[in-house]
Amino acid sequence: MQTCVKTMLCVLALCFAPLADATVHDQLFRGSFDIPADQPASTAAAARFLTQATFGPTQGDVAYLMAQGYGEWIAEQLAKPATLGEPTIEAIANARTTGGQSVTNTIRLNRFFWQAVYAPDQLRQRMAYELSQIFVVSDQASDIGNNYMVPLSQYQDMLAKSAFLPYAQLLLNVTDHPMMGRYLNAFRNVKATFVGGVQTTSPDENYAREVMQLFSIGLIMRNPDFSPVIQNGTTVPTYDQNVITQTAKVFTGFTWSDAPTNPPTFNGGGLTFAAQYAPMACWGTELFPASSNQMRHDISVKTVLGDGGASTTSSIAANQTCAQDVTDELAIIATHPNVAPFISRQLIQRFVESNPSSAYIARITIVFNTPGNDLGDVIAAILTDPEAENPPPLCGSANCDSYGKLREPVLRLTELWRAFNAQAPAPDQYGQIAMIGGGGFLGSFGQAPLESPTVFNFYLPDYQQPGVFADNGLYSPELQITNESTTYSTADTYYGFTAKAYQGMASPPTDRPLIDLSSLTANANNPAAMVTTLDADLFYGGMSAAMQSTLTGMLTNLSGASAQEKAWSAIYVAMLSPEFATQR
Amino acid sequence: MSFSGKSRRQFLRNLGCVACGGTAAALLPQLRMLGTALASTSVASTYQALVCVYLYGGNDAWNMLVPFDNTRYNTYAASRSGVYDPVNNPGGLGLALPTGSQVALQKIVDGNDSNSATNQYFLHPSMPEMTSLFNQGHLAFVVNAGSLVRPITMSDYNSSSANYPSQLFSHADQTNQWQQAYAMEASTLGWGGQCGDALSAGNSYKTLSPCISVAGANRFEVGVSTIPYQISSGGLTNLAGVCNPTPCSGVSSSSVRDNALNTLLAETYANDFAGNYSSTFQLGRELFNVLSPGLAGITLNTAFPAGNSLGAQLQIVAKMIKLSMAQNYATRQIYFVNLGSFDLHSGMMTGNNDHAALLTTLSQALNAFWTCMGPGDVDAQSNVTLFTMSEFARTLQSNGSGSDHGWGTVQMALGGAVRGGKLYSNGGGPITGFPNQALNAPNNFPRGQMIPGIGVEQYAATLAQWMGITSPTDLATIFPNLGQFGTNNLGFV
Repeated sequence: MQTCVKTMLCVLALCFAPLADATVHDQLFRGSFDIPADQPASTAAAARFLTQATFGPTQGDVAYLMAQGYGEWIAEQLAKPATLGEPTIEAIANARTTGGQSVTNTIRLNRFFWQAVYAPDQLRQRMAYELSQIFVVSDQASDIGNNYMVPLSQYQDMLAKSAFLPYAQLLLNVTDHPMMGRYLNAFRNVKATFVGGVQTTSPDENYAREVMQLFSIGLIMRNPDFSPVIQNGTTVPTYDQNVITQTAKVFTGFTWSDAPTNPPTFNGGGLTFAAQYAPMACWGTELFPASSNQMRHDISVKTVLGDGGASTTSSIAANQTCAQDVTDELAIIATHPNVAPFISRQLIQRFVESNPSSAYIARITIVFNTPGNDLGDVIAAILTDPEAENPPPLCGSANCDSYGKLREPVLRLTELWRAFNAQAPAPDQYGQIAMIGGGGFLGSFGQAPLESPTVFNFYLPDYQQPGVFADNGLYSPELQITNESTTYSTADTYYGFTAKAYQGMASPPTDRPLIDLSSLTANANNPAAMVTTLDADLFYGGMSAAMQSTLTGMLTNLSGASAQEKAWSAIYVAMLSPEFATQR
Repeated sequence: MSFSGKSRRQFLRNLGCVACGGTAAALLPQLRMLGTALASTSVASTYQALVCVYLYGGNDAWNMLVPFDNTRYNTYAASRSGVYDPVNNPGGLGLALPTGSQVALQKIVDGNDSNSATNQYFLHPSMPEMTSLFNQGHLAFVVNAGSLVRPITMSDYNSSSANYPSQLFSHADQTNQWQQAYAMEASTLGWGGQCGDALSAGNSYKTLSPCISVAGANRFEVGVSTIPYQISSGGLTNLAGVCNPTPCSGVSSSSVRDNALNTLLAETYANDFAGNYSSTFQLGRELFNVLSPGLAGITLNTAFPAGNSLGAQLQIVAKMIKLSMAQNYATRQIYFVNLGSFDLHSGMMTGNNDHAALLTTLSQALNAFWTCMGPGDVDAQSNVTLFTMSEFARTLQSNGSGSDHGWGTVQMALGGAVRGGKLYSNGGGPITGFPNQALNAPNNFPRGQMIPGIGVEQYAATLAQWMGITSPTDLATIFPNLGQFGTNNLGFV
């Protein structure tokens, strides 16, 4: 983690050498020298940064960031251990099973949102969530469903624990995870079979294809700034179907870690939750001689992805162990020159903006590719880049600005909860803390954690909304789930978490957190003051004058309503506003 | 002339005309904008609609339509790694040859082929409703269609990568190529949306897009001036805490919030994201006001299958068609619905959501929709043509428990206007007929991925012509590569 801190400080606009060890500095000078050199320019700037970096700013976090400065805050966050979901979820699942109750993904979703709102390792949790939108697995697949809810929750933990590791280590952890195995079919994938010398089956190609198309390098060669490499007037494919068929052989032989080997039962195992999330075993020559029909890994020579340069293919030798084949393959993928721009661009899209400049991507590519650096360095560089910190001034006419992104519906909800000190219900008799209310969010939002309809996530990084985005070659991923129907269903969901879930209401629900309206009701007879509070809490001080005027007028016209209704009305309408839907 | 994103934006702004496609289109042909020629296409005023059923993930169509004669069936079964048997051949993907009473439920005869040695097929046992509709002449199969840049053979494929589309076998890319009906490059425009551009002039209620999706965003329905209206299979629900319809008549807390929301949505936004969000939300409110009371007054006599996600989508399509016809909203509409989970790399022959379960869902939903369009209900069987798209068929050869990505596939067209009871497999190119299913036969790959004999644009253009887009100029604009193919109309509708 030392590397992270060092690199991160070096990309800060205000860094200077004496601050290289920021922790020591703070311990020495706290009290006598309070203002960190990289303190946010304002509490609004701090709240804006926290909107990018966390599940939403709280007043406490804004104050803390002001005191620490960006560098120290990030260094602390990178060092925080992962808050885990699986141990709690497993305990709830066991208690419910004992009590004769159903075990479904609601348990996982409740815990996810509890962590999103309350976990101290905000940057790690947020990174894990965004990584789950790149390295997609989903309970929507029948091979996972509700049956593997517990190990699926450990996949999220794995992402949290891997969030700031080197990319190659993350890719290995993803590849070895049995939930990824089940989702993209490396699990129980076996070498080709032959009958009478005639090949009758071939290895499953699913993981071989998607690990390259979606998790690492993409379909065409990229320059360090993500622009396509053009040769003879056209783009250059990264691989062809033959490479896929060959790479499929690498990902053969995987099964549960506890599948019995004596007597061998390849389709056995998976008997405990621990076995369902432990890295998969591979039945290669490390376990059985090549002559044994129990040896399920393909040990023939494999002609796989090249180095992205002169060599269009490379070769993995015959007769290796499964572990060696996978190590070789992932090393080839992870060192491909496409990885840094391909992954960096998507991370920027998830945290900062849908259309990063070429220069921004190129700057992150350099950090990504610096020897010794890890994904902690990458996310630090993304968040402290001048393009993330300094939005261009807002221009004056319609559609003159494409900076920023649409906020994910999930994040708009967590931002609400964190801004208004949401109080979660007490754990029920099984230890579960209810967060999500009666239904899931996939239908209403078009997204929910680890519930993507397909491996292509809820939206594509290259989605272009018809109209101004498509016409100008711009991307707008989150608009893919924003339509006449989901604007309504998302709003209705927010209504249930604002108007129908605040502290002090009569008969409050017990299946979701209650927000604290006191910062608004304190000024119930001062509409302008209420709007100022809302502006600071949800808009980092960026609410337009027109919107302030509209909300002030609305609150004035609600003079007959209770203080609570004024407060939730302001929050609810603000949450539906185009300005809150946008992160800029 | 070439524009970067920013300069293109500046250019459009300098025209003083970001929203109006016509002028800019004439100057920016590389945007594949259509201009006004298409918008003025006039069609007969009788209502017609296309309903696209997209099967996401790549339907294993070679188990949907299977040769029945012994010679070809045996080839099929061998290529599918044998007939599936849970005990003796769990890795096999082949379907058993129908026998006894199953024959009547599965067997079809191709009305385009008089040779009894080659004209017999059977459908998957989960699709008896489709067998019946085929035998009644309402359902047709288009065989071995796929994305192509021009008709080719294996030797063309091997001679140059310019002879076939880029990124073959990739879900996302093949899906786009089907939805664009154009495989030369990625576009933001789909063929359904461009048909909408051309046909919308005849629709009287212009706020309602000619393209309507019950399955979320899709490229198929995006045109130059056409953006699909998106509705959920559950229909329309009220917006909580405000007025439905908007505005309210009296003054209340709801009306105050409603006014504030509408004011915010009506603002001009400099930022593209805010602007798009507000215009989408606003359009939703405007259409809700009109469609919600209308849909509430529509009843269907046909029962759609319960627990069938595709059936639920087709039910709201049926209501929208009935409403649109009754209110004369439109003379031409294009709907988009979907069914997912066809990417059966594993569990294809067994499990909760195997191929049989998916085809049951498909067959029962389509059958209910056909019934609903019948004389006792919506009464528009000849006005509505339903068709499938799916990005590819799959490898004939098993991977042990499923199949991998292929290329040429089989699609279905259903409707009173469909010339059904027939297989359509001749696009005028070098590959015709139902493919030889031997692995490594002359025009397929080692695992049984077929080079298509029919291009997507031929399939799409046939449907577009039925909708009334017949001028060669219009067809060439929507399907720029259509001229590469032997015929622009396959004749199935």
